[in-house]
Amino acid sequence: MRTKILGVMASCCLVFSLQAQTDNSNYRNFPIVVTLQFHCFSLPFRDIKSNFSNVGFGLGTEVSLNGKQNWAQQVSVVWYHNKMLGNGLLFYSQMAWRPTVSSDVFTEVKAGAGYLYSFRPIESFKQVNGKWVSAGHKGKGMLTLPVGVSVGHNGYSNGTYFSPFVSYQFLIVSGYNKSIPVVPETLVQMGTRIHF
Amino acid sequence: MIIRIYMMRIYFISCFLVWITVAFAQESINANYSKAAEIDSALQQLVKEGVPGVSMAVYSKEGWWTTSAGYSKLEDKTLMQSSNLQYLQSVSKTFMAVCILKLYEQGKIDLEAPMTKYLPEKFSRHITDAGKITIHMLMKHTSGIPEYNSIPAYITKLLQHPDYPFTPEEYLQYIHGKPLTFVPGSKYSYRNTNYLILALIADAITGDHRKFLSDTITKPLGLSNTFYQGDPGYINYSNLVNSYWDRHSDGVLENATELQRKNVALLIGDDGIVATPVDAVKFLRGLMENKLLSASTLELMKSWAKDSKGNPTYGLGLDYAVFQNQIAYGHSGGGIGAGCQLYYFLEKNVYFFIGVNLGTVTESPIHEVMGKTLDKIHKALVE
Repeated sequence: MRTKILGVMASCCLVFSLQAQTDNSNYRNFPIVVTLQFHCFSLPFRDIKSNFSNVGFGLGTEVSLNGKQNWAQQVSVVWYHNKMLGNGLLFYSQMAWRPTVSSDVFTEVKAGAGYLYSFRPIESFKQVNGKWVSAGHKGKGMLTLPVGVSVGHNGYSNGTYFSPFVSYQFLIVSGYNKSIPVVPETLVQMGTRIHF
Repeated sequence: MIIRIYMMRIYFISCFLVWITVAFAQESINANYSKAAEIDSALQQLVKEGVPGVSMAVYSKEGWWTTSAGYSKLEDKTLMQSSNLQYLQSVSKTFMAVCILKLYEQGKIDLEAPMTKYLPEKFSRHITDAGKITIHMLMKHTSGIPEYNSIPAYITKLLQHPDYPFTPEEYLQYIHGKPLTFVPGSKYSYRNTNYLILALIADAITGDHRKFLSDTITKPLGLSNTFYQGDPGYINYSNLVNSYWDRHSDGVLENATELQRKNVALLIGDDGIVATPVDAVKFLRGLMENKLLSASTLELMKSWAKDSKGNPTYGLGLDYAVFQNQIAYGHSGGGIGAGCQLYYFLEKNVYFFIGVNLGTVTESPIHEVMGKTLDKIHKALVE
């Protein structure tokens, strides 16, 4: 599966590089970043197939740290559905470094910090004055360290342009419970930056 | 006329025999058990402190006594009852140990032989230095084989895919190539993997360890409310308790019944048995009263491994515990959605089983108060 994904990513690079335009100065801040998200409770690069059973979406933006496209600070909010582990709402910010591979094809390495609110998958209960009452699906907020890699294409244009990308994001989630203080989660992301 | 009288006699004798059978099949409960009020009060305290449900059986010189508190199902407030099946979890290891020791008595297994003598290569190839580990070391947790069920890849797979039908070989694949954590025989460290391997060895010798367990333990002791893999309807019994766990260690409980059942249903050797509290006690009584093994084999079972402080801690599938300064033999069990204790206070000649439908493998603030209440129950039992 991992080989297949790397193959798809490499194919994308090739296609994008053939269609590339070269105008790094045309990068514009505060694009809208829209993504499809695929979540899994797993170690990195394990059980990737299962990511595609747990779909979500994300919205974000970014600003360049040096006026160019290759250093950017991103802010995102992600919601995902996971029937077994519970749905999640993730807020995070990452610094992204984007070395250009060829022409307008870029790769990306990113890391940052965030906050994950993980809902419970089913109804839960708590005792109030000696009686059990429903606590619904209310979950827990946890600090999260996201680390990711991406590959994409900067489709520069004087008007609105799109920069599609594919990312693999590994989340180190802290404080899951006292016995397992840190848990691994992953997100496969497919989306685009829309620069206006 | 004479034939008619004979027929009547035969009829009444038959009725009497049926009545005797039924009456003795169900243990008569001593409602006047001297510790009843004290223990019931402690169980109510457990429930008040956040345990969904608890069930208990005691056998002492005063006879049988059972009690329950709380709910077997929180969702519809179904009361916990003594007839509910409880998860024995790791108490299953004592059952597995009895099977292996029965094979030893039958001359079919040498406890000092390397496990590779019996374990098929398709399993042993996953275990580092398998040839250096004896059956005795597996039974006593002195093998040094790593734990399979604490491997992160296994835990994440189990939680994300509760339906996944893990095979015994897949459990072993999680420890494939991992070094032993200490020189075999040099120290004690409790590992579920040891008893998974023992079940596979029993399979290799008997053809089916589940049938062997049934023929060796449950049938001879008449444990009609004890179930394991291979039994009809396993594990979806209507009287099996629902399970709850404190996923985030915050005292809020989540229904983990599906996860618990699917997980337990696949475990062999180290877990997998469900039983009523009375049946659990009947098993330990059967073992201690030499109904399952000979006196000399039972003594062998009590050859204790020492903990880091040099104190006896674990025999061959038998836990050595000290509660309220009283030595107790038995086993405890813990799982995602249940926990239990099955022990025999040898000086007091008291047996007890207590089971809760709250997970004990992930920490919860409820466990702290649970520990203190268990102390009260132990105290009441031995005073």
